Amino acid sequence: MHPFQYQRSESGSQAVAIVAKDSDAAFIAGGTSQVDLLKEGVHQHSLLVDVAGLPLRQINDFEGGVRIGANATNTEAAYYPAIQARYPAVSEALLAGASVQIRNMATMAGNPLQRTRCPYFRDLDQPCNKRTPGSGCAAIGGYNHVHALFGASAACVATHPSDLAVALSALDARVQTTGPRGNRTIAFPDLHRLPGTTPHLDTILEHGELITSIDLPAFAGRSHYLKVRERASYAYALASCAVALEMDGAKIKRARIALGGVAHKPWRATPAETLLAGQQPTEKLFQAAAAAAFADAKPLEHNAYKIPMGRNLLVRALLETSGLQPLQGPAGTAFAASVGGMAGQVATPN
Amino acid sequence: MHNLVPALQPGDTVPNGPLPDGSTLFERRGRPIILAFAPTDWDPAQAYQSAIFARLSQEFGSGEALAEAAPEAWHSLDYYGELATHLGVAGQRALLLLDEAGVLRWKTVVEPDQEIRPGQVLAALQALRPEPVVAPNLATTGHEVLTGGMSRRTFVMATLAAAALLALPSVVAAAPETTSPSPTPTDNRSAMLPVELNINGKSHHLQLDPRTALLDALRENLHLTGTKKGCDHGQCGACTVHLDGHSALSCLTLAVMAQGKAITTIEGLAKGDTLHPVQAAFIKHDAFQCGYCTPGQIMSATALLADQHTRHGSAVEIREAMSGNLCRCAAYPNIIAAIQEAQRG
Repeated sequence: MHPFQYQRSESGSQAVAIVAKDSDAAFIAGGTSQVDLLKEGVHQHSLLVDVAGLPLRQINDFEGGVRIGANATNTEAAYYPAIQARYPAVSEALLAGASVQIRNMATMAGNPLQRTRCPYFRDLDQPCNKRTPGSGCAAIGGYNHVHALFGASAACVATHPSDLAVALSALDARVQTTGPRGNRTIAFPDLHRLPGTTPHLDTILEHGELITSIDLPAFAGRSHYLKVRERASYAYALASCAVALEMDGAKIKRARIALGGVAHKPWRATPAETLLAGQQPTEKLFQAAAAAAFADAKPLEHNAYKIPMGRNLLVRALLETSGLQPLQGPAGTAFAASVGGMAGQVATPN
Repeated sequence: MHNLVPALQPGDTVPNGPLPDGSTLFERRGRPIILAFAPTDWDPAQAYQSAIFARLSQEFGSGEALAEAAPEAWHSLDYYGELATHLGVAGQRALLLLDEAGVLRWKTVVEPDQEIRPGQVLAALQALRPEPVVAPNLATTGHEVLTGGMSRRTFVMATLAAAALLALPSVVAAAPETTSPSPTPTDNRSAMLPVELNINGKSHHLQLDPRTALLDALRENLHLTGTKKGCDHGQCGACTVHLDGHSALSCLTLAVMAQGKAITTIEGLAKGDTLHPVQAAFIKHDAFQCGYCTPGQIMSATALLADQHTRHGSAVEIREAMSGNLCRCAAYPNIIAAIQEAQRG
């Protein structure tokens, strides 16, 4: 592990100032991803500024929605009553992600900032433009079964691993930050960026910019997260989707769909969203929406399986969110979010 | 194994004896010496030795003398070697520490099925120094020293080999330098930090490299070896402890960041000789085979049963909540049965 200095910050502004002036410095809070990457040698920071002690852990009702402090743990947010009841997609994404131990440690700001699980990113013997800009991409032409269908570039085909980020994108959450140039609000779908020629940058956050809260805007509709993975629990999504539906009587007033495991960021399926607006929910409609969502998919050598998988997953998520099909488990739990495995083995309360 | 030479005790002046580099113990007087005896089945490549020497010279502040301790010397320090026989420790893993006057200051002999732990090396150094010794943290810094596929055990043994016979001329003189945290890290070492950890209700004060994971601080600095190192990357759950009552992975927790939290390890569960009900249930249901994952399983299980969201869970919900703890022996059905028994109280 590269040596680093450690400093506990007294305030957000102090933390920002310290990190901003050292290009090799980084924040650390839950550490679940950061410590792992430090151990791997993928991250080599000169200085870690500990922001875990900053008073950013509260979760509050806020402007008709919920404000989630950056340092709230994934567990705390997942079980927060207003989130579990009114934003079940968020609880489902959290509880279907990682393990209990990691959820107890990981923070709400840290989760969306975790780095890709592309195996080449973590293999120091392989080129990776995300790890070492300009070194090349071993996944293109390599074993790319977990890689992107959308928005990839000639420099990077990695996907974003966070389940939570997919749910937050579909719900148009807002990210509050404080940085060297002051405070700002970022619409969650704008937080992450596509790789382009600079895949080492995962987000639009400036160096030294600190997330202070994630705000869920007021929302009266239904939401749901569904995930398919290689084992029943504790695995990253091969493909996932978050759906937020607002109804107007029997018709869909507005649909928002984010796809996970298919791009460098949560991928908003805008063509499908447009197609669903104003329509009566039916399975046929949902199949058309899923077809539209994946119409522009550009598979690599080993990941074309994600196209039918993702389409079927989206159809099912839409059926379950709209109520045409029952959830596979209680809303707001891991059992609702899972496909296969332990799904269907926990009764949904009536 | 019978030794013809009577065992030396601390305070004894060590008789003269041949060193593998052709010198003798008496010739080495004037400098503290650590002698370590280990089996010959480890044989790190020359590159590793150099790296270890470099590391040790940084830690103890005398590069030249360390480099002098010729690499060819340590090969002879196997535990059936001449010196081992001469010092009455033939056939044993042993660590001896001689002060400048050639008096045995500290000695440990390890049973054949055990290993010498880095902490014991530290204890040895501590005995030599008037000031508290800063832990060189042998285990956690191993990754950077060794770039090949050496196991931690191999590294520990290799480090001992390197430490063996190393005259440490300025050990005492260098103490102030190595005990006071330096404000900026040098090229490849971090500044040491004072760290206070509250473990199982007791406060512990340590000097740690900020890179030290809580897992390594527990095992290597405090010898609380009940917490296991499995994958060291948060994937297996063997290192699970409680932080403020919630299960957490000690391998992904920097020790310096665990300050101010109530840390509970497997050693802290039983009340005297009375096992925690989950521990008793694991025994009753034979919820393990090799036992390596068991401390982590039990820490997760006790946290699960203390948590209002999971304590009443069905078997499937227990499986989901325990999915962060892998068991390579696949004792899962018995683990579930044990947890359900504890659940019923």
